[in-house]
Amino acid sequence: MRLRTTREQRILYIKTVLRWFIYYLLIFIGYIYMTTGTWLKPVILLPIALAIAVDNNQYGSVFTGAICGFLVDIACEKLFGYNAVIIAFFCIVISLLHELYLRNKFANYILITAASSFLQCWLDYKFYYQMWNYDNVQRIFTRYTLKIWLYTVISSVIVYLLIRLVNRFFMPKNHLSIEEVITTKSQ
Amino acid sequence: MRDFIKSTRFKVLLAFLAFLIGIMIYAVTKGGYSLSGASFIQTITKPFRSASNSIGMKIEGNLDKVTKADEYYEENKRLKVQIGELNKQLTEYDALKAEVEELRKFVSIKEEHEDYVLSVPCSVIGYTTNDPFRSFTIDKGKADGIKPNCPVATAEGLVGITVEVSENVTTVRTILSPDLSVAAVCSASLADSGIIEGDIIAAEEGCTKISHVTTENKIKPGSMMITAGNSGLFPKDYPIGIVREMEYDVSGLSMCSVIEPCADITRLTSVIVITDFTGKKEESE
Repeated sequence: MRLRTTREQRILYIKTVLRWFIYYLLIFIGYIYMTTGTWLKPVILLPIALAIAVDNNQYGSVFTGAICGFLVDIACEKLFGYNAVIIAFFCIVISLLHELYLRNKFANYILITAASSFLQCWLDYKFYYQMWNYDNVQRIFTRYTLKIWLYTVISSVIVYLLIRLVNRFFMPKNHLSIEEVITTKSQ
Repeated sequence: MRDFIKSTRFKVLLAFLAFLIGIMIYAVTKGGYSLSGASFIQTITKPFRSASNSIGMKIEGNLDKVTKADEYYEENKRLKVQIGELNKQLTEYDALKAEVEELRKFVSIKEEHEDYVLSVPCSVIGYTTNDPFRSFTIDKGKADGIKPNCPVATAEGLVGITVEVSENVTTVRTILSPDLSVAAVCSASLADSGIIEGDIIAAEEGCTKISHVTTENKIKPGSMMITAGNSGLFPKDYPIGIVREMEYDVSGLSMCSVIEPCADITRLTSVIVITDFTGKKEESE
């Protein structure tokens, strides 16, 4: 992206700051939602981190993924850093996939979120329940893990729409001169 | 992709992941105390969590009334019958009360528990997200003298044990968890003992389970199980729960039963932490 004027630079700066502020506000709301009440809830910070990773660079994505992971660890009382590693890794992969191979489509996002979320839930089940050989441990998988996964996938639809809305208003667009457009087209 | 793997960006990302793994490993070594980062987040978000949790509990409570109307109707009918029976027992109780009053001159409740060092009453901030065993966080921590492995209770009975202590927040593992074992005896026949340990199926109903009870026991349905106090983790003679029905376990060598905890662990609002008591096992550093 070429920035031509000081005004454009200022707009880019303000939009970027606002965009990240809203991202982190959404993350905070997601965390508060996750720690409220006694019913089963989606791991909503995972789809939020992934939706952010789709449209942003790897550094921003991995940092946000780690923050979301730490918050999931606190909310779910898991080993501090366990989900941070998992979600940060997912964010790098998704950011790369979208940069190199995938287009920013709803179907792509849902499929990737479903797969990542399943992996996260499955690892949680493996490490925190199945590994310890509790009696009737498979009930945890059918009655908790699968439900949480399903809720997470459903919640990712809302998350995707919200992040898209934020990006629509605050994601800086490419500014090309007429000459550049002509040159690009002629190539 | 090959360019990416060779790039500095890839090395930086890899280093960051290694850093996160380092934090995770460091967290393992903390032995029950939160990392300062986690503690900071817990402290900052505490008021928001408390506020949203109280709203959430109210919404859940209202929705609960609508969705479980039939269940409550049945429960109401059952309770009416139970009230009739209890009224009958109350007459007998009044007679016994006079006798007990005499005994109370010698042994009062306060004297009974004078060895307990109790924390200030703790409010439940919220239950752990998606935990089948209902662990929860309370609004008091290290600053209030709470340490890991302190018993947590209500006036009705034992609730669990503290597992992770931050400056102002503590996580409590409940007796519904299979990771917590409590030695228990029957209050009616102190010779009948067993181990109370959570069970996945029982936890779905907010109950726990007693196992390793000898087949020659005299425990009847409705018997009260109390703490044996021989592990050094829990004080002696504190109520835990009521026995449903004794049955043989899978091996057939001992008996087990579902236990209904005296305290309703699924809907707690405040608890007390017993920070010290006679016979408490000192924590080895």
